[in-house]
Formats: sequence, C-alpha cells, structure tokens
Amino acid sequence: MKKSYDVIVVGSGVVGSSIAYHLSEDKSKEILTIDKDFPLSGTSGSTQAWVWVHNKTPAWYGELNMYSAELYPFLERKIGDVEYKRTGGIAPFFSEADREKALKLAEKQAEVGIKVEVLSRDEVLEKEPALSRNIAGATYSKIDGNVNPFRLIELFVRAARKNGAQFLFYNPVTNITKENGMFKVTTQDGDYFSNQLVMAGGPWSKSLGKLLGIDVPIKQVRGQVIVTEPLSPFLSHTIGGMRQADNGEVLVGYSKEEVGYDRRSTLDIIQDTARMAIDFVPALEKVNVVRCFSGIRAMPEDGFPILGEIPGIENAYIAAMHSGITLSPLVGTVMTELLSDGETSIDLERFSLKRFDTIQSIG
Amino acid sequence: MDKSTIVCRCEEINIDEIESAINLGAHTFNDIKRLTRCGMGPCQAKCCMNLVRQIISDKTGHPLSEIKPPRMRMPLSVTRMGALAGTRASSVASVFGESAEEGETVHEEKL
Ligand SMILES: Cc1cc2nc3c(=O)[nH]c(=O)nc-3n(C[C@H](O)[C@H](O)[C@H](O)COP(=O)(O)OP(=O)(O)OC[C@H]3O[C@@H](n4cnc5c(N)ncnc54)[C@H](O)[C@@H]3O)c2cc1C
Repeated sequence: MKKSYDVIVVGSGVVGSSIAYHLSEDKSKEILTIDKDFPLSGTSGSTQAWVWVHNKTPAWYGELNMYSAELYPFLERKIGDVEYKRTGGIAPFFSEADREKALKLAEKQAEVGIKVEVLSRDEVLEKEPALSRNIAGATYSKIDGNVNPFRLIELFVRAARKNGAQFLFYNPVTNITKENGMFKVTTQDGDYFSNQLVMAGGPWSKSLGKLLGIDVPIKQVRGQVIVTEPLSPFLSHTIGGMRQADNGEVLVGYSKEEVGYDRRSTLDIIQDTARMAIDFVPALEKVNVVRCFSGIRAMPEDGFPILGEIPGIENAYIAAMHSGITLSPLVGTVMTELLSDGETSIDLERFSLKRFDTIQSIG
Repeated sequence: MDKSTIVCRCEEINIDEIESAINLGAHTFNDIKRLTRCGMGPCQAKCCMNLVRQIISDKTGHPLSEIKPPRMRMPLSVTRMGALAGTRASSVASVFGESAEEGETVHEEKL
C-alpha cells in the first residue's frame, strides 16, 4: 500500500467520512482515512440521527445547521439513498408558561431565515395525533428531519472509495510528528505520510490532540436510547425526543451524563427514558422494547463545533462537534474548500480552536 | 448452505449480506451488526450469534475463539415499555427546554 498521501484524515465517523468523500469529489488529491476501529463504531453508530435545526440557539448556530440540512437532498443525489426524510420537527412543551419562550425563539430564528411556528395543543395533535393530550403546545419547523446514520456513513465511504480515496480500518494512530514539512502518522501497521492532516476523532479528539501537543476542549457526554419493536407507521414527524425509523422502530431518548467513555446502558436512565416515552406518546406504554444503546457525544466545552485550521501547526486541521449527523454535509463541504483553496464560503473564524484559551504547547 | 441462506431471522439477513459487509472491511460482529442490522431484532442475536461468528472466522481466517459475540444490551429479552417505565417523573432533558434557555451554551446541557 502507498505510504504517502496529499491528505490523511484520522477518524472515519460521519465527520471524517464526509470530509474524505467531499475531498475526493474532484479526484485531484490522494486521500487516506485511518480508523482505529470501523466507521460506525464511534458516536456515529449510536445516535438518534435527527437532522435537526429549528431550536438550535443562538440563531447563528441554528443557521449553520439549516445550511447543512439544506444540503441533504443534493448529497443524496450524489451518494445514494441515505433514507433522509424532511419530516418536519416538533418540540413539545407541557406548560402554557413556555409559550412565551417559544414565541421568542420563533422571533430570533426568523432573523436568520429559520421558519419556526408556535402551535397550540390542538394544532400539534392535528399534525401528530399520537402525542399526549397533556402537552400545551410545541414549536414546529418544516426544515427538520432525520436520516439513517448506518446508510449515510456506509455510502460516504463507498462513494469516497469510488473516487479513489483509501481507507484503513482497525488500525490505531499512535503517534504524529512532522518531518521535512510532512506529517508522519504512525499507526499499528506502519507509518504513513501526508502534506495535510485532518483530525476527526469525535469523542477521542482530546487524546488525538495530545499526539499533536494541543488540548482539545471537549467533554464526553453519554446518551442512552431505547429502541422499540417495529410498529406500523404512526409518527410522521421527528419529535424532539423520539422518531420512528423507516422500518417502524421508534427510537426514544435524550439523556445526558458525563461519565467518561462508558457505553453501558443503566437501568435508572432507561426507566426515566421509558417514562418520557409514555409522557410524550401514551400508546407507547403497551409496546415492546427490543433493545437499548448508548453513545458518547463529543461535546466541545462551549457546545459549538471546533472546525478549521489548528493554530500554530501548518496544514493541520480539526473537525470535532456535537450534531455531526446534521452538520456533516456542510462540514465536508467547507473543510474541502479550506484544504483545497484555503478559503471557505462560510466564515469559520467563530469555530476556531483559537477561541479557547486552553491551547497549551504547539507541535 | 448457499449465499441466500438466512442467518438472522428477525431482520432477514442472508449470508451474502454478511459477506459483503466483511468485504467492505468489517471484521467484528458489532461492526457487521451496524452495517446489516443482523442481530438487532427481537431475539438480540440469540439465533445468529454463532452462525455469524463462523462466517467471520471463515472469511477472515481468524480462529473462531477470537471472534467476540456482539455486545449484549438491556433489556436482554423483549420487555413492555410500561414495565420499564419508572413511576417518578422523567428527568430526561427536553429538547424544547434546552432551546428556551438563555445564553450561549443552551444546546449543551447540565446534568
Ligand atoms: C445518544 C446520541 C444522540 C445523538 N443524536 C444526534 C442527532 O439526533 N443529530 C445529530 O446531528 N447528532 C446527534 N448526535 C451526535 C452525533 O452522533 C455526533 O456528533 C457524530 O456522530 C460525531 O461524529 P464523529 O465522526 O465526529 O465521531 P465518531 O463517529 O465517534 O468517529 C470518530 C472516529 O475516530 C476514530 N478514532 C479515534 N481515535 C483514533 C485513533 N487514535 N486512531 C484512529 N482512529 C481513531 C474512532 O474509531 C471513530 O470511528 C448524537 C449523539 C449521541 C451519543
């Protein structure tokens, strides 16, 4: 296998795979993606996979998510059917007092072009009759939807390979140095060299950063999800808290725990999540739960993506974020612009690692 | 057995589908499971566990003893949602609740 590449991407989750695919599109670069495991073994294989926009705040962050959601139909035409569905998104609230907040959200989001409606209880129930009569209302937007993460990442990898990009799996990166202006990436099965390096390590971004001598301010936040047996279609929207997949399964869950890299399911959170399921949709009380899973979010300290050049290390780049499923089409696009032209169609200044004052030594 | 032989009855996955996941580069049961859904159905891999491990072993040349079973997940066998639900009000964060908070880090959460 070739040892020298234009670009090496470390990490083949939804973020790394999307970057590799988008970079491969014009076939002008030799690209290698290296993963210590397999593309769906990290966070991207244990996610709700909503393509969710409407209540991401502040509005500029919502706007970023909107641009990415808008790319999905085009992406699907290029790489194939990823079961993307723009279902519309409903985020219910249970107290009339929340209506004021909902209206304020709608007003803020309108400033950047995200159309959010605030629905009365009857309007929500008309859209989604299975929801509980106890809800007071909901925010709603047509832009939200969901995707099949397994299909998405598999097709990113397949399409990138078709364009000549290479992938190495089950091959941990253990060291990174710079030699004669090139990166030397040491892995379990040997050294690989590249001019440009992209770090897309998701929840492992901190330990990957250490290899370059930088601190990546990211927390690991566990999320647990319940999956039901396949049910005949009864939820037509993506609900803030649950969705029904194409095969009929309902995925429920929205928990957050900082317990490090621990992917166990725990009874307390599962009981809580089951309660939430029934509070949202009473009929779920009688359905069967087939399994639970848990994933580890890569959550930057301030919640926003870390994206762009790594300050102080020429030709090194990082892409680490929560909401990577929603953001992957846009992230792949802008990172390709950055690596190929040095300029991006969206200003990435705000997402720079520079915003944290925690950067320690520099490579 | 020919390639169309079903190994996972719950999800109706045949040998050919397992092999193409392996050809894509997947060498563990967990990775094949996520690509094909094999083992994700109601029986939770109780039927297909050893069949799939055998196929992995045959295709990759690794001895069967080194092929790990898939990760077992709660509740291990099919359980009613109502039986799992706690009686206390749920403390799981609500999506709306997050958007309605003030400040820069609202979509990120405490807990
Ligand atoms: C429960 C839950 C629900 C979620 N819901 C949503 C949602 O609805 N919508 C949404 O947009 N997002 C959601 N997310 C977040 C989303 O799933 C993540 O943002 C996204 O999957 C991150 O992708 P990634 O590629 O950065 O990370 P990963 O998929 O974790 O990929 C990182 C890869 O890097 C590899 N790696 C790490 N270290 C090394 C090394 N040293 N050498 C080689 N390879 C290495 C790993 O093996 C891994 O494959 C959710 C997350 C969770 C946990």
